[in-house]
Amino acid sequence: MKLNIEGLLVYFPYDYIYPEQYSYMLELKRTLDAKGHGVLEMPSGTGKTISLLSLIVAYQKAYPLEVTKLVYCSRTVPEIEKVVEELRKLMDYYAKQTGVKNDFLALALSSRKNLCIHPEVSSLRFGKEVDGKCHSLTASYIRAQHHSNPCQPVCQFFEEFDAVGRQVPIPPGIFNLDDLKDFGRRKGWCPYFLARYAILHANIVVYSYHYLLDPKIADLVSKELAKKSVVVFDEAHNIDNVCIDSMSVNITRRTLDRCQTNVETLQNTISRIKETDAAKLREEYMRLVEGLKEANVARETDIYLSNPVLPDEILQEAVPGSIRTAEHFVGFIKRFLEYLKARLRIHHVVQESAPQFLKDIYEKVCIDRKPLRFCAERLRSLLRTLEIADIADFSAITLISHFATLVSTYSKGFTIIIEPFEDRTPTIANPVLHFSCMDPSIAIKPVFGRFQSVIITSGTLSPLDIYPRILDFRPVTMASFTMTLARTCLCPLIVGRGNDQVAMTSKFETREDFAVIRNYGNLLLEMSAIVPDGIVAFFTSYIYMENIVASWYEQGILENIQRNKLIFIETQDAAETSMALEKYQEACENGRGAILLSVARGKVSEGIDFVHHFGRAVIMFGVPYVYTQSRILKARLEYLRDQFQIRENDFLTFDAMRHAAQCVGRAIRGKTDYGLMIFADKRYARADKRGKLPRWIQEHLTDGSLNLTIDETVQLSKHFLRQMAQPFRREDQLGLSLLTLEQLQSEDMLQKIAQIAQQA
Amino acid sequence: MASLSEEVLLVVKRVRQRKQDGTLYLMAERIAWGPEGKDRFTVSHLYADIRCQKISPDGKAKIQLQLILHTGESTTFHFSNGSTALKDRDATKELLQQLLPKFKKKANKELEEKNRMLQEDPVLFQLYKDLVVSQVISAEEFWANRLSLNTVEHSLSNNSKQEVGISAAFLADIRPQTDGCNGLRYNLTSDIIESIFRTYPTVKQKYAENVPHNLTEKEFWTRFFQSHYFHRDRISTGQQDIFSECAKQDEKGLNSMVTQGVKNPMVDLLSLEDKTLDEGYGTATVPTTSNSSNKSLRENSNSAIIKRFNHHSAMVLAAGLRKAEAPSDQASETSSTDGNSRDSDFFQLPLKKVKLQESIEYDDLQGDSGRKTIALNLKKSDRYSHGPIPLQSQHYTTSQDIINSISIIQHEMRNYKPRLTQVMSSNAASSAITALSPGGLLMQGGAQQTINQLVPTDVQIELKHLYTAAGELLRHFWSCFPVNTPFLEDKLMGHLEEMLQAAYSKFQVWQTRRMMRKT
Repeated sequence: MKLNIEGLLVYFPYDYIYPEQYSYMLELKRTLDAKGHGVLEMPSGTGKTISLLSLIVAYQKAYPLEVTKLVYCSRTVPEIEKVVEELRKLMDYYAKQTGVKNDFLALALSSRKNLCIHPEVSSLRFGKEVDGKCHSLTASYIRAQHHSNPCQPVCQFFEEFDAVGRQVPIPPGIFNLDDLKDFGRRKGWCPYFLARYAILHANIVVYSYHYLLDPKIADLVSKELAKKSVVVFDEAHNIDNVCIDSMSVNITRRTLDRCQTNVETLQNTISRIKETDAAKLREEYMRLVEGLKEANVARETDIYLSNPVLPDEILQEAVPGSIRTAEHFVGFIKRFLEYLKARLRIHHVVQESAPQFLKDIYEKVCIDRKPLRFCAERLRSLLRTLEIADIADFSAITLISHFATLVSTYSKGFTIIIEPFEDRTPTIANPVLHFSCMDPSIAIKPVFGRFQSVIITSGTLSPLDIYPRILDFRPVTMASFTMTLARTCLCPLIVGRGNDQVAMTSKFETREDFAVIRNYGNLLLEMSAIVPDGIVAFFTSYIYMENIVASWYEQGILENIQRNKLIFIETQDAAETSMALEKYQEACENGRGAILLSVARGKVSEGIDFVHHFGRAVIMFGVPYVYTQSRILKARLEYLRDQFQIRENDFLTFDAMRHAAQCVGRAIRGKTDYGLMIFADKRYARADKRGKLPRWIQEHLTDGSLNLTIDETVQLSKHFLRQMAQPFRREDQLGLSLLTLEQLQSEDMLQKIAQIAQQA
Repeated sequence: MASLSEEVLLVVKRVRQRKQDGTLYLMAERIAWGPEGKDRFTVSHLYADIRCQKISPDGKAKIQLQLILHTGESTTFHFSNGSTALKDRDATKELLQQLLPKFKKKANKELEEKNRMLQEDPVLFQLYKDLVVSQVISAEEFWANRLSLNTVEHSLSNNSKQEVGISAAFLADIRPQTDGCNGLRYNLTSDIIESIFRTYPTVKQKYAENVPHNLTEKEFWTRFFQSHYFHRDRISTGQQDIFSECAKQDEKGLNSMVTQGVKNPMVDLLSLEDKTLDEGYGTATVPTTSNSSNKSLRENSNSAIIKRFNHHSAMVLAAGLRKAEAPSDQASETSSTDGNSRDSDFFQLPLKKVKLQESIEYDDLQGDSGRKTIALNLKKSDRYSHGPIPLQSQHYTTSQDIINSISIIQHEMRNYKPRLTQVMSSNAASSAITALSPGGLLMQGGAQQTINQLVPTDVQIELKHLYTAAGELLRHFWSCFPVNTPFLEDKLMGHLEEMLQAAYSKFQVWQTRRMMRKT
């Protein structure tokens, strides 16, 4: 249907629309009009993606000069592919309605592993191997060698692309990962480099967060994206963790050992080159004297994305003389390495700030702050000059150099923690140096600063106001949308007690309590008897799940559950879990029914949907608090308190509740779907926890379902399931939670829609 | 008595039945009991009729063995030969245990199959009544070429009974009971044993290898329950265990399943992340030393339990599916034992497309056009597409033609406008109507009575039955040609003629009766 969103003609590729979708598009339009940032929460399964795409594409078509590009970031590969397929649907609809051939170029970008078509390289299993192998076939000097020596293998797909691929623009169309591969095969071009090149002039780019948030990758891939782009972070509830992860470094003794070997290799290579090709090194030296001016020029024209590892002021200066020659630099790194080794030889935990660390290093080994900052750039230059084939081998020294640059660049927002052993195994020495980022805004700052509109959206972003605070930006719109429902298809229940009235909680003091574990088991057992098809149960941590499963096994509870359903359990091995997951779906599919025991914060809880019969009930055993004894977390909490005035408890609860909401939200994927959401912990009933659940879940949490026993839960669930099993037709929804164009245009409906969005 | 020619496998003296002493005979195909001093059997059961046997518990004073028949009746034998009674009983039990399953399968399957066919097909049932019950031909002959004919058809048709899966908790049903002196007793039924075999083919293989040459059945199961294999939460004690190999094979199967990966790309956790952080980055602590040395024994056993549950569930699931696909491809048996028969990579792409499409679909937002249709399931598709073939004319209208013409007609109907100026006069119209109504000028021929109004229904039915019966006999007759085996020749020469004769005489009887009734 064609919609009129405040004067903008939006093509929406369906015959019906949910009211909240309309409302969502309204808010989005206002955000784009204001050229500002937005935080939008809308329940999963209400067609968030298609609403986003429809509106932004319409905006792009209407104001091609205002918004030139849409950069859509999602988290997982299947998500990325789903977005592109939805986009294809939209574009097909455009073509059908307007009769004009699609002139948009939209493409997905992923790592080499998902795009490579080289027969040898693509058969490798791990992303790192693929990257390394690809690099050894496509690096510039390898190709130069190939000219003089045709026996040197190169990638013919890249050669072909390099020869002609850049001149001929990729035709307009929608290119998913597989389409890119097909296209590459037809033309004989490398799809990965083709895609990386094509994102510069594509209208829509879909890729993962890392390409924008991780400075190491963003620098390579996304630095030339136009300023007038709209950036969307979908499923953004964990965006702060992605930011932090991309800026944090861990150094173990093994890293240092490997780094040692790297240094030796470098030394040997340098002395060899000196004998054969001294001019090369001299040339590099001259280049470094010139400084990093080139990079500076690019930045001034506002084309480049600023790189947090490469701060502004560095660009104005030349590389300091002490590390300008190759030998000196290697000597410098060696000294730094020895220092780190010494620091790791400790028997007690040390925590210090970056300035403290710099002071110490200056006193002990006379390393200045300035050359440290240039470490990463200097190493990059050296590796290029020395024509090192396999960059993957040099990951250790690269890591150390990044650490050096980061620690000397940022005086705030980071902490250094050196632990001599793991908490669980105090007898085994395993020293680790954590250089951990505590401020997610550091990594995302360039994104906010650079692009005119950044939209952060997810099904679970409650409480909304915390995101602008921890990411340090000022949004123009913040809204939470509820799900309009013709029937209450979600049923959140808080189970607080067993039938024996013993409180059910995963609180640290009582979590190993026999009665609690038994009650949890009884809850699962009772539910397995009444819920059809699939049940997914989440535990707070992997270790906790292992313990509970073991004691359920001893008590014979699992055997009784097996009478009703098959049991599959997430393990720490991803391949094994995938297999279990597939079998779980198979068992749901063929009617046997199954239970999946899984872990909050695990891969399953973050990336897998349990639509329809794959998840008729989700049980959340306990409140998934993060492991609070970790020193890194403590440091971060302190930082949040000091910098953003966020109380520790508030943040911990917020973090636990967003994960709980993610877990239970996995079961509902649309209005025809239905599912029970069982929170098995009495602490959920408290206002501070309950208030942090997304609005669309909170709404259906009645006072009567706050502190139930297992029996009461079973009664309510039975009632709910019986109701849901009744046929549900379109007519039931129409006019309430599903609208035709005429209904949408009526006056009172528009008023109702205005209430859907709750501004924060 | 015919028993003379039977092979007697076991004779047990002094067995009481209904307070009467006697002798129990186990023969090749039946079990029989005769009271002492008489030379005939008062009790005789074919093994095929026996559903199961039960024995009295060990501690009981009376040493008894009970046979339960399919009909629900039961017979109890009391072994009363003093000191050897227990031995006698066990010998009988052992022998029965070996004999019963052999007959059970065959007899049950066939009987069930025949029963099912008769129930489902009233025509066949009538035929059976006409031919077998009235002893025109024998039951065996009637079934001889029916059964084979039908099993083929049966496997094709979809109304076959659904295979019953295995309860996931079958191992839990074997509750160990203490016997009072520091021992454990497990009660195994044949159902449980079958479940174990179906779920764990390796155990079945072990069973076939070892029983009864190396171990008795009892020993085998005792070892099974003692094994590390059964108690997977215990860490292997390393003792020589015939099941350690099973465990290894399971491990291998599990690993191959894992390395094969999953078919559905949407659940593949390995390729979920686009770009993982390089080693050394991130806040999560690196699991550098996750070798087993710093894991406690308890943690190891916990993860063993988890592995076991996953594997067990996968095997149970696979066992259910294996049965369904077993007849279609015997060759893939080896690959499907590990519970995962993988399509080749060729199918990967379309599957992915389908899954992607599925996941972005909102069926309630979509208009009606996208409504899914149910696929037409045809038993004989050629019958559907061709229909009865006309003898002369070779011209077919394709379905496209039909659709076209329908749409043309629809179109014409829609655009039909009565041209009121060119209609017939009312007089002419009414006379045409009278001519066309029954009894009218043009409808004279229609008043003739048809045959089914002339002949009473019971005669019709009987005629029909006779017709089919005769047809069946003729089928038997013609199926004997060409006469290439002595058996066929015998059949042809001997009783087929008899049969036809019998049938003919039956016909004669009917005809005379009919004639009599007519006159």
